Amino acid sequence: MDKRDKWMHKSYWKVLGVVLFVYVIIGGLSTPLKPGIANVTSEKSLVYAGQSFTLGVEGYNTHFKVDGKIQAWLKLDSSHFLKAKNVEVINDNTANLSFTLPTISFESKAIEGLTLITYNEKDGTAILPDAISFSKPSKLDSNITNDAIWVSSLPIFTQNTSIMFPYRNILNETIRNTFFHVALWLAMVIILLAGLYHAILYLKTRDLRHDKLSAAYNTSAILYGILGLVTGSVWAKYTWGTWWTTDVKLNMAAIAMLIYLAYFILRGSNTDFDKRARISAAYSIFSFAALIPLIFIIPRMTASLHPGNGGNPALGGEDLDHTLRLFFYPSIISFILLGVWMATLNYRTEVLNEKQQLKSQN
Amino acid sequence: MINTKLTTFLPIIFTLAQDIDFMRSTGKIYTVIAGILVIFIGIVIYLRRIDNKITHLEIQIKDEHKTS
Repeated sequence: MDKRDKWMHKSYWKVLGVVLFVYVIIGGLSTPLKPGIANVTSEKSLVYAGQSFTLGVEGYNTHFKVDGKIQAWLKLDSSHFLKAKNVEVINDNTANLSFTLPTISFESKAIEGLTLITYNEKDGTAILPDAISFSKPSKLDSNITNDAIWVSSLPIFTQNTSIMFPYRNILNETIRNTFFHVALWLAMVIILLAGLYHAILYLKTRDLRHDKLSAAYNTSAILYGILGLVTGSVWAKYTWGTWWTTDVKLNMAAIAMLIYLAYFILRGSNTDFDKRARISAAYSIFSFAALIPLIFIIPRMTASLHPGNGGNPALGGEDLDHTLRLFFYPSIISFILLGVWMATLNYRTEVLNEKQQLKSQN
Repeated sequence: MINTKLTTFLPIIFTLAQDIDFMRSTGKIYTVIAGILVIFIGIVIYLRRIDNKITHLEIQIKDEHKTS
């Protein structure tokens, strides 16, 4: 028994991994979403200055009826807001908002989307971008006047501070996938780092223990990579409408997976364990060096549908909502711990196998 | 009244307002959570069994090594 392997027999970090993952499952799936606007219906899709129109609003997790004092604005830009003239609440999730556009037309861009902002005390603010299109310069009948005006700012809203996940229109409840799909990939990269570390150490010391550990970590990591691809595919099917798409990040991630799968074919095809260890170590260093630009750098340089690249808001770093972080970071830690546990089991089995083989040879 | 407490994180409070039991409240999400937990804990128990078997073998080999 190698003294450096003593930590593999301890239970505390394995229990921590399990407990954290159970916490993520329970909390991540049961915390409700913030109230948001699911849908907006109107007879006209394009409106002009001076026109009156009604927007039917369908809310998600909203409580329009609770105090009845729901307010709504249409935002043109940071200094033009139009307050709803009349609000008719039908039930907790449905309301009709009547707006009258002022008789002012603008010189600049032809058609711009107006953002709908609703507010009530119980739910806080809900936002839907591009609720309706507004034609800025319009053929205006100069006889029409109304008392509608663009206000230059919104009142200060009191925000709802209880723990709820952000509501995003295409994602809806699938935002919870952040704790699984994204966490899997990040855990994979960290476990691959451990594999890389042991690969380098093997080439330095020629100690076969490092080769076995490196292979074990890479195995765990590739399992996570495959699971990441599958969970991403399922997520894509119900948000983007397709299981796979010719998107940069997806293709780069698939290529990175193929490069690592070749690592295992390499290991399987070599019978001389010294040679196998040397080739695997060198190949895994190359694979990791290829992985970083493939899945991190190249996608960010291009326009991409996948969040976090090409101008899309990311669900990570500065863009991650603080309520999501409560479950996202524990999820990464738990995936790393569970992955390391599986890797240590793999490694210990290999050690026992080797001892068995040596014994049977003597 | 803006809810500033962590009570929305403990959904038990809300179920008392509805006239249905815990597992059927809030769109039966708790049934889903229970199912996933059962699967996960099952896998964890399986991992733990393998871990114990390996530990047992390692102790066995260590003892054989000492006595031989």
